[in-house]
Amino acid sequence: MSELRRDPILGRWNIIDTDEPAAAGSFEVEPQEMGGGKCPFCYGNEAMTPPEIYVARPAGSLANGPGWNLRVVSNKFPALKIEGELERRGLGVFDLCNGVGAHEVIIETPDHRRQMADLSLEEMSAVIKAFKTRSLDLRGDRRLKYSLIFKNFGISAGASLEHSHSQLIALPIVPKRVQEELKGAERYFEFRDRCAYCDMLNQEVHEDERLVCENRSFAAFCPFMAGFPFEVWILPKEHHADFAQISTEAVIDFARILKETLVRLRVALSNPSYNFIIHTAPLDPRAPEEYHWHLELIPKLTKIAGFEWGTGFYINPTPPELAAKALREVVLPS
Amino acid sequence: MPELRKDPLIGRWVIIATDRAKRPVDFLAPHEDVDAPGDCPFCEGNESDTQKEILAIRGNGGGADGPGWQVRVVPSIKPLLRIEGELHRRGKGMYDLMDGIGAHEVIIESPQHIRNAADLPKEQLHASLKAAVTRMTDLEQDPRFRYVLWFKNYGSVAGAGRIHHTRSQLIATPVTPLRVKEELAGTRHYFEDKERCLVCDLLTQEREAKTRIVIESTHMIALCPFAARFPFELWILPKRHSCDFAKMSPEELADLADVTKQVLSRLKGVLDDPPYNCLLHTAPFRRQRGRVGHWKTIEDDYHWHIELIPRLTRVAGFEWGSGFYINPTPPEESAKYLREAVVELVHV
Repeated sequence: MSELRRDPILGRWNIIDTDEPAAAGSFEVEPQEMGGGKCPFCYGNEAMTPPEIYVARPAGSLANGPGWNLRVVSNKFPALKIEGELERRGLGVFDLCNGVGAHEVIIETPDHRRQMADLSLEEMSAVIKAFKTRSLDLRGDRRLKYSLIFKNFGISAGASLEHSHSQLIALPIVPKRVQEELKGAERYFEFRDRCAYCDMLNQEVHEDERLVCENRSFAAFCPFMAGFPFEVWILPKEHHADFAQISTEAVIDFARILKETLVRLRVALSNPSYNFIIHTAPLDPRAPEEYHWHLELIPKLTKIAGFEWGTGFYINPTPPELAAKALREVVLPS
Repeated sequence: MPELRKDPLIGRWVIIATDRAKRPVDFLAPHEDVDAPGDCPFCEGNESDTQKEILAIRGNGGGADGPGWQVRVVPSIKPLLRIEGELHRRGKGMYDLMDGIGAHEVIIESPQHIRNAADLPKEQLHASLKAAVTRMTDLEQDPRFRYVLWFKNYGSVAGAGRIHHTRSQLIATPVTPLRVKEELAGTRHYFEDKERCLVCDLLTQEREAKTRIVIESTHMIALCPFAARFPFELWILPKRHSCDFAKMSPEELADLADVTKQVLSRLKGVLDDPPYNCLLHTAPFRRQRGRVGHWKTIEDDYHWHIELIPRLTRVAGFEWGSGFYINPTPPEESAKYLREAVVELVHV
């Protein structure tokens, strides 16, 4: 018998196949191929991107030239543009506004051959620090309401360039999915005077059935109601609504657990494509304290079809207990 | 300047790239092999390869589970939900769960091995839609179910699996889907304010503007919605206000078959046989009427419709994280291409 499991925050029910669960080896995984051609994210090709907004480079090297360790630039083909006003308006029953916002690319390493999972702890920490710095900086812009940090790895996850990078999109509205989470967390808090995510974390660490790994400040687990096979959430153990307020020590712990999770995923699933998204509170300084920032990681293993589009529910062929076990049992290279 | 547009039904915002609008030729749909009719469990003559039929429309006679049918409904070979058993709603710490009870049926739309419903004769589409209505009405009798979703996946990118034989599916669920709830809430909210149906207002506006209309028939409108999430996304809506797909008149049903055939043929022509998902949004079962607040006005405030999504773009991190979509083709452009398409309607 399969199970219907409910997301305690979103109220979404997912179907979990506990009858004939799909193991790690049963998914078709596209090979991550390296194509040829001139890469705009490699040393020497800095002129192919818009000028750098943020950079980590040793003293002595020149802006927009080689020698850097990490670079943040504007997306050359932005989904939203930074200039102009919103001009919110109506059109009969419809509402619209101009596509104002920021779209930045974080080039994580100059080395074209390395994936994010290959980054050293120090390099990964630099990436997290760049996420933090850019989010804080965009806070000054009153038109912007939300900054979304995410990564698409592999073609089927929507990556258009193979050179390791993540992205930041700052939006003039709070996205619907985030609003739903905020509302869900608020509702839970009103009823129990506790944070839904703190409760979830406590239950997952206590039950130890879906836990993948943990360290001093973070825990990674496959959530009970996961909509996707091998979906992993990383939560800070301390209650914080806003990712951008992350402390210097926590940056290192976050880098460590993210790297470990990516390595486990790569080994268990033969280097799958994936998306990760940092879910955090809106930029508004009065953001609700009931929220708890976290990272959601979704390997691209299943196809979204009519049922998912029509219902907003997902069918997960791998129970999270099984996924967590497979990820836990990966022997890490020392 | 790209635009942010809001879906008035559920409040979802979509980014429409008005600057660098993509044309049909920018989307290349990978093609798949057609498997041999002899191996196909959905072909006439192979009836024993499926479970026993739940319903069959047999114009030419023939016995149950034998040849001679026009449309056949069978339980899914790999059902997502099982029909037997009770729900056993329960909690586990902070989590809620229940057993995966439901119905999962396949409507085989042709006895011949035809892949794309666009290539079906109009009569076959008509019979398939009739079968869907009959099954939905029957599933409503089961008190464990709250909703039934009719949908269709075409092409492997759209999740159609390995059997390339045209079919649609029905899944009855013990809970009302989130997406449907959001639409119900959105339309009710509008109704409370104006005492009019949002979708009726939207149709009036679209018929005046004309820019997003693809087809207007006697009873139906096919249009590319203002806040379309996807390039060439298309909705089919009835002109007469009705919350319930299963309550269509015989004339409306025949007209819907005709419009569906037109729309699918146009999509096939303009986008070179793209994979697609097609799904129906209709009111949940209303047998508990009066008990829950929003079911009191549902017949006045909700308006059923079909959504058709060609699978041309990839849903990536941004869409998952934000729940809003980046659409590279403004719906006005999509509608224009589809309207102007010269389509030879294939009759088998």
